[in-house]
Amino acid sequence: MIELRGVTLTYPNGTRALDDIDLSIGKADFVFLVGHSGTGKSSLLKLLYRECVPNSGEVTVDNIRVDKLRRGKVAALRRNIGVVFQDFKLLPNKTVWENVAFALQVTGARSKDVMRQVPRALDLVGLSHKSRMLPGELSGGEQQRTAIARALVNNPKILLCDEPTGNLDPSNTTEIIELLQRINLKGTTVLVATHNQAVVDRMRRRVVRLENGRILHDDERGYYFRGLGTSPILSG
Amino acid sequence: MQLTAIGTVAVTIVMLGTFLYVRDTVSSFGTGILKQIEIAVYLGDDVDDARAKSIAAKIAGDARVTGVRYIPRKQGLREMRERLGRDFDTSLLTANPLPNAFRVQVKDADDVPAVAASIARIPGVAKADFAADTVTKLLRAAAVLGRVGLGMIALLVLTAAIIIANTIRLTVFARRREIAIMQLVGATGMYIRMPFIAEGILAGVLGALVAIAVLAVAQYEVIPKIAATLAFLPLHVDVLQLAGQLLLTGAAVGLVASWFSVGRYLRV
Repeated sequence: MIELRGVTLTYPNGTRALDDIDLSIGKADFVFLVGHSGTGKSSLLKLLYRECVPNSGEVTVDNIRVDKLRRGKVAALRRNIGVVFQDFKLLPNKTVWENVAFALQVTGARSKDVMRQVPRALDLVGLSHKSRMLPGELSGGEQQRTAIARALVNNPKILLCDEPTGNLDPSNTTEIIELLQRINLKGTTVLVATHNQAVVDRMRRRVVRLENGRILHDDERGYYFRGLGTSPILSG
Repeated sequence: MQLTAIGTVAVTIVMLGTFLYVRDTVSSFGTGILKQIEIAVYLGDDVDDARAKSIAAKIAGDARVTGVRYIPRKQGLREMRERLGRDFDTSLLTANPLPNAFRVQVKDADDVPAVAASIARIPGVAKADFAADTVTKLLRAAAVLGRVGLGMIALLVLTAAIIIANTIRLTVFARRREIAIMQLVGATGMYIRMPFIAEGILAGVLGALVAIAVLAVAQYEVIPKIAATLAFLPLHVDVLQLAGQLLLTGAAVGLVASWFSVGRYLRV
């Protein structure tokens, strides 16, 4: 589903965000991308939804060479990729329903489809009863669930999450991660960039660790820190 | 914000409209004068009627000539008397001093000097005269006016375009969150662009409409007063056509300005 081959990304200011990355993620995989701030997690996600173009290397998403994608084709790519951020990126003057419907409306969906798909997405994230509320009236967890509903309303094959629990307390964090897991079970490929050690260690899913723009290790059923996950303090 | 743009566009287009109006008036005034310019062809004293006819045919044969009028010396004297009235004391004349003559009309005022020169070369023609200075000066003035006009129009249009572009940029900036989300969820560049383009066109059209309203008031309130004072000025500008031109200019400026403004901001 996702393939990176020899990918290098250097920003115009000279910062090398990613350095010779090789990564392969299969269909319906669930992968944690971990590492300190500034190690290239967000940059790697940006390459996938074509917010950035690599200086060298190949980026393939769902058999599409994203690094060679013409500007006019980016919109079509993004309809197949849901993206969720730490700061939710909701429109404060629109209700939950309107925020979710927005993603369909601006891609030219018919109102019949909007009426069918929005309730389904809201039901999936458990916010049907709050569809008329404004983001300001919701908890952080609920706001993130709204953002996830918006990311999923187009039925994308891939869900990219950039620090989805960064602004949330532990109970909301658990709620969001469980939701992501449920979404993954329905067949969506989920890639989560995080530095939340507790979440990663509890889930025991594939962990790709980045450091200074390089992949340090890539473990199936891994821990946030390789070899430390069994520590009773950290895994508790 | 939008009002500022509409207002400035309106002011710009009022200036543009006034300028076009003045230019049209001056140019139709100038064309009127140029149309009246004739070449006076004086024949030699030895030219008889038959030869005069053949010379007339030769002049009329020139494609640039639209009319040749033969004025025998007697008629010439009569016309001169009529024109000058009491200022002309015929009692002082012992004989008719005027030669037989033609009045030649030329289609394009630009050709007057050349046609006059070629007529002067026909044997039997003593002199081919025209208001040389007036014609060349008028032609030069018309050309300069046209060029200055084009320059001014370009400047005015550019001003309006920059103002609309800046307004659209502010609107885009105010809605940047919404735009970022649109881009994220896969809205096409055209879909994101369209509302801003529409807004730009609307600003241009509304500005033009305000300007047309102001100019219409001028047309019915001010122009008749000028016409009464300066009766010789032909104030017959095609107002509907002018309004159409201004409206189109407003819309086009709005379209182009907003297109570039949004494009540069969004990189879509």
